[in-house]
Amino acid sequence: MKSLSLKNLAKTYFDAYKGEHVTAIRDVSLEVPAGEFVSIVGPSGCGKSTILNMVAGFIPHSGGDILVGGEAVKGPGPDRGVVFQSFALFPWKTVLDNVGFGPKMRGVPKAERDAIAREYLALAGLSHAADRYPNELSGGMQQRVGVVRALANQPDVLLMDEPFASVDAQTRMTLQDELSRIWEERRPTVVFITHDVPEAVFLANRVVVLSKGKVLAEVDVPISRPRVWDRLVADDQFKDLSNQVLALVRSA
Amino acid sequence: MNALLPLWSFVVRTSVKWPVLRTLAPFVPVVALWWAVAAWGPFPPAFFPSPPDVWTKFVTLMEKGILPEYLGDSVGRLAIGAAVGIGLGVPLGLWVGLSKGAHRALWPVLLFFQAIGDIAWLPILIIWFGFGLTTMTFVIVYTVLFPVILNTVLGVRSVRIELHRAAQSLGAPPWRILTEVVVPGALPNIMTGLRNGLGYGWRALIAAEMIVGTSGIGFLMFDARRAGSVTEIVLGMIVLGILWYIVDAWILAPIEQATGRRWGLVTQ
Repeated sequence: MKSLSLKNLAKTYFDAYKGEHVTAIRDVSLEVPAGEFVSIVGPSGCGKSTILNMVAGFIPHSGGDILVGGEAVKGPGPDRGVVFQSFALFPWKTVLDNVGFGPKMRGVPKAERDAIAREYLALAGLSHAADRYPNELSGGMQQRVGVVRALANQPDVLLMDEPFASVDAQTRMTLQDELSRIWEERRPTVVFITHDVPEAVFLANRVVVLSKGKVLAEVDVPISRPRVWDRLVADDQFKDLSNQVLALVRSA
Repeated sequence: MNALLPLWSFVVRTSVKWPVLRTLAPFVPVVALWWAVAAWGPFPPAFFPSPPDVWTKFVTLMEKGILPEYLGDSVGRLAIGAAVGIGLGVPLGLWVGLSKGAHRALWPVLLFFQAIGDIAWLPILIIWFGFGLTTMTFVIVYTVLFPVILNTVLGVRSVRIELHRAAQSLGAPPWRILTEVVVPGALPNIMTGLRNGLGYGWRALIAAEMIVGTSGIGFLMFDARRAGSVTEIVLGMIVLGILWYIVDAWILAPIEQATGRRWGLVTQ
């Protein structure tokens, strides 16, 4: 696990159709120490997914620095694992082969990477689904595979782009419980993008509120762990923090 | 009504046991009608042969070795068309699908040449290459090639950008993305292109054999016209239908379904 730091990050692009420059990210600086879980929330169009895509290396940034463990990011790489809103599992690979894909790209032999994949599948309670194809699984199951596929490659930083936005409400809470448990066990560095305020507060050590391409506020979440919804649903500290963040997002 | 249920149950059980019956059953009324019309006799047998006539002809041509030889020639040409079509069409399609520049430059040209259908090339090909194998090979390869290219391009471009990104962020270099993401993602479309291409190619080949051929099923039929043997022409038509059914239903369709359906890329 390594730290992630964004220094005066900016993104402008030229809209050829409109014929003008558009500023998506103005000036964002953010420090995520190794092993910390940071949520970024904000209204639609605030640029939170743009930040994640730049950190992942999918799109170039036009100003500032992105450093992972002190080293500048150039393009996509296995040091930054990504979990997508659309799951992005390979439909032609079994669950086991999806999870073993990262190790396969590193040249890990078949038997060894299967063992790695099975270990991570067990972590998410997915051992029984190893030989299934993604389209045979429910949305919640698919995203569990998406999460462990990223984890199995042992990235320095885990980037999650609204990963639970397209599953139903009950499943979402289960997935949040599970992610919280897995994070407590493995302590990866996580940047979690969401527009769901309770989700952001429930999972994170710190919530960053984004507005119009800038950081509006940072809110620490000192709620004790392990965190499970059964306990936090009625927790006053959780409610107060959620309301505080919600007020900030609404003012954004 | 209830008396028919055991019969129905018998039909269901035998057709599950022998799936080929389900293919053959619809042809029973077709052949029966043909036979009835031939037997009824408004047309002379030399003009409208009956099923037994055609069967006798089939046996004769098999014994003489003409039908196996011509069939082999036609299928061999189709196989060459398929091989070149895949070998050339798939790489070209991958390239045009992946490269924005190549797509901009080549897509309109590809559509243009796709539109000049197969045998529309015959007049100029006969001048260039004469009556013979080169002309026929050109027509079949040309006909297979374009559907394969165009469908491969569509397949490549239908692979979602998230899958490219997921592979990249899991450490896949560009050539592994090609083999692990692009090719499997495009495979159902490639198979569809091949299936269509071979279907068109088969028809174009028969037409080319009729006009420029010296062997093959198309030649057999056209030669029979010269000799005035309607029986042989009908036999040729039946052979074409059966052969294509076998290639399509027993080889191409199962592959297409095995790739697409299990992965959820093709809906029923």
